[in-house]
Amino acid sequence: MNPRASLWLKTVYARTWVRTKSIYGEPLWVAVNVGFPFFTSLALSLLYSSAGLKAGIGFAFLGGVMVSFWGNVLWSMASQFNWDKQQGLFELYVTSPAPISAILIGMSLGGILGTAPSAMTLAIIGWLLFAPPATPLWPLVALTFALTLASLYAMGMALSSLYLVYGREADSVNEALHEPVSFLSGVYFPSSLAFPAALQAVVLIIPLAVGMDALQRTLFSLNSTGATDLTPVYRDLLLLAIMGITLLFAASKALKILEEKGRRAGTIAVRQK
Amino acid sequence: MSYLSSIIASIRVGWSRDFGWTNPFLGFSLKTIAPIASTMTAVTVLYIGFRNGTSIASGQFPMLLGFILIGATLYAHISAYSWVPTLAIAEGKWTFVFPQVYVSPKSSPPYLAGRCLAAFASSTVTSVASFAVAIVLSSLLFGVAIPLVITPLSISLFGVALVVNILASMGLGFLLGAYAIFASKFEWALPTYVSGLLMVFSEALFPVSLLPHPFSDIGNVLPFTEFIRASRAVLLPLGSVSSYFYYLALSFVGGSTLLAIGLLAFRYAERRARRLGVLDRKVV
Amino acid sequence: MSFRDAKSTVEVEDLRREFKGKEGRVLALDGVDLKVREGEVFGVLGPNGAGKTTMIRILSTLLLPSSGSARVMGWDVAKQPEKVRPLISTASGAERAGYDYITARGNLWFFSQLYGLPSKLAHERINEFSEMLGLTDYLDRKFYTLSTGYRQRVTVVRAFINDPKVVFLDEPTIGLDVMTALKIREFLVKQAKESGRTILLATHNMAEVDAICNRVGIIDKGKILACDTPMALKRSLGAPALVMEMTPAPDSASLEPLGKLEGVKGFTSSIDEERGVGRVQVVVDSDESAQGALDFARKSGMNLISNWRQQTTLEEVFVALVGRGFREREHESPS
Repeated sequence: MNPRASLWLKTVYARTWVRTKSIYGEPLWVAVNVGFPFFTSLALSLLYSSAGLKAGIGFAFLGGVMVSFWGNVLWSMASQFNWDKQQGLFELYVTSPAPISAILIGMSLGGILGTAPSAMTLAIIGWLLFAPPATPLWPLVALTFALTLASLYAMGMALSSLYLVYGREADSVNEALHEPVSFLSGVYFPSSLAFPAALQAVVLIIPLAVGMDALQRTLFSLNSTGATDLTPVYRDLLLLAIMGITLLFAASKALKILEEKGRRAGTIAVRQK
Repeated sequence: MSYLSSIIASIRVGWSRDFGWTNPFLGFSLKTIAPIASTMTAVTVLYIGFRNGTSIASGQFPMLLGFILIGATLYAHISAYSWVPTLAIAEGKWTFVFPQVYVSPKSSPPYLAGRCLAAFASSTVTSVASFAVAIVLSSLLFGVAIPLVITPLSISLFGVALVVNILASMGLGFLLGAYAIFASKFEWALPTYVSGLLMVFSEALFPVSLLPHPFSDIGNVLPFTEFIRASRAVLLPLGSVSSYFYYLALSFVGGSTLLAIGLLAFRYAERRARRLGVLDRKVV
Repeated sequence: MSFRDAKSTVEVEDLRREFKGKEGRVLALDGVDLKVREGEVFGVLGPNGAGKTTMIRILSTLLLPSSGSARVMGWDVAKQPEKVRPLISTASGAERAGYDYITARGNLWFFSQLYGLPSKLAHERINEFSEMLGLTDYLDRKFYTLSTGYRQRVTVVRAFINDPKVVFLDEPTIGLDVMTALKIREFLVKQAKESGRTILLATHNMAEVDAICNRVGIIDKGKILACDTPMALKRSLGAPALVMEMTPAPDSASLEPLGKLEGVKGFTSSIDEERGVGRVQVVVDSDESAQGALDFARKSGMNLISNWRQQTTLEEVFVALVGRGFREREHESPS
């Protein structure tokens, strides 16, 4: 095999391994990661129920599942390089021959595999407790889910380059981004039923918003006839594919530029005291 | 150094930490935006339930909106500062500040109390701001006028309820801190669970009577539930001053009890941690 | 071993690096010239803020120089970092970098993959180097459970796992206990001798430099002040230092003429309070100058109770070059 391709694959595998080993090596992670999303989903389910909309329970628990991944993107993708920099790990990446893009892909795959158990646990608990009415189009659900995760993690990669520059405030930025993006993306509710058309159009720049819209449509019926209009779903899927590719490209370019800037300004390595 | 001066010094440290931004406006905005968004999520869920569900009459919607706006905002406020002691301990172990505080003459409770009070102050500021913004956004988004009672009397009584609730939140903070002293990893895990439980049981988003028995009983005895009820009693038209004082008294009694339990638990945890040698154990 | 005939693996020419900080511009490196040869352990010795770390960062491709050139194994570090990186590795004593929930072995394997090593080879090297550093029994423990000393051993193993031609080490034994530091030094010497690796060691630990470095460059305020073997540098002062003890301790006014004597390069004085004795250490360039200093002390009426000749240390070399000791830095500058 071509040495560069071999190095790329080894790096992806190794970084994925580190991430999944960290999580699966401490099974408590699953329980820890399920907790808050579960209670949020539970509270919102009860709110939907009290309003007489049992179908809303499905939105609440789907939201919990996706919030797990969104949280992972923010806290373990976007912020990771900043934390690696604090620990002296980032400079080891830069001075190695391994491509940064491979490290990012490895982090993403590891993040998805690591978050999956808690997300699935939440989905199963929701299903067992409430049996929300659902009309899933499974092949489309699978495709939508895959594309949503791909573009979400691509966004995480793009954010990681920003965090390298503005890393000091990373935690605060994460806290500031987490809820607003969840709200604007309609994580816990179908935004098409709540937001005015203008706002719906604006939020389509957020991969999570597009993905949530498609997932909600493919899993639950949003209209009184029970049938699902697939045109918006196909639109969403196309948007997700475009976003994913664009963000991947942007992330790769941005990191290269920032690495060069970092080498010039001397900001890649944080002086340890 | 007296207890009071320890507490005051810790308040100053906590305030600098929370609001010591190079750009105060940016810092304030970043801290306010999350509570606004979480409140808006809750009210939007209610709106969708109202529009597509069967249990809410048109006339009820504005009042329910007010109910949720108050509950969601206060829930975020409580969550923001009740786990500051845990944060201070975990962070303090990482930076070796906590062991230094522990061996100081007044030891750690005044330090943690001061940090908690600083967080209360900063959280109050951001909560009031986020509440105001959420009201405006909700009115615009859903086209309703939210019936809130905003008078000098109602605001003053609300302020008193906020202050009385410090007892319960600080008590919870010390209880969680007792756990954090021993935790070498995942010290933030228990507070997130407690936060989640509060969302369900403190009547933040819906009356606890909706929960099946005995879960509804749990909600009814929590001082946080009484605090939120007291606040609604003065800020919403259907409340009354007599019910406000009733809930306030329960909040005070419950909060004092929780604070006493929290302090005892924390003191016990410190003694035990000292025996086991984990007070300065580094967290991962 | 003579390094004169060995090829140069690190070549630095008129290297400069400026930083723009809040306090203004800081010149961390001010025209450094250096050549390090294959198989050499080269020490870069200087106080905090001298420019050691800045130089290491440039050579390891983390930082671009403001001007000048630096080449590692013939490749330009600024323009061809992708050629340099497969051939080098770097480790810092302040680092202890690793993923906490992974074992030491897992961490080492991970870093080996960033250099494209086959897993089998990686594990062989991990076992071999861990054996040398007494790390074997700790390989399967999670990183966060390891003490500082063992984390540093993992860091050192990591620096050699990819079979680098050049290794840059920045204070690798700082803060470590004597035994761990000794083990790491033995390991470094073995790696240089047996595998022909070039090791560039930035440190302010003179004993370390004396013990393991083939050559040392003394750096201060971004400039290399002297570069030679430790023995040659010490001999450059001419002769071992003269130490005189007298009672009562002399005052500074009476010692002043001592510094003006021919062949005296400098002196330091101290008081042993417990014994009530003054001690003067005189850096001289010859035995005659030492005798001159002794005669001065006697003629000045100082009550000499003892005197002896002391092996010159690198700190005395530094004092002679710069006019002050390591502890007398005026200010920190980023390095």
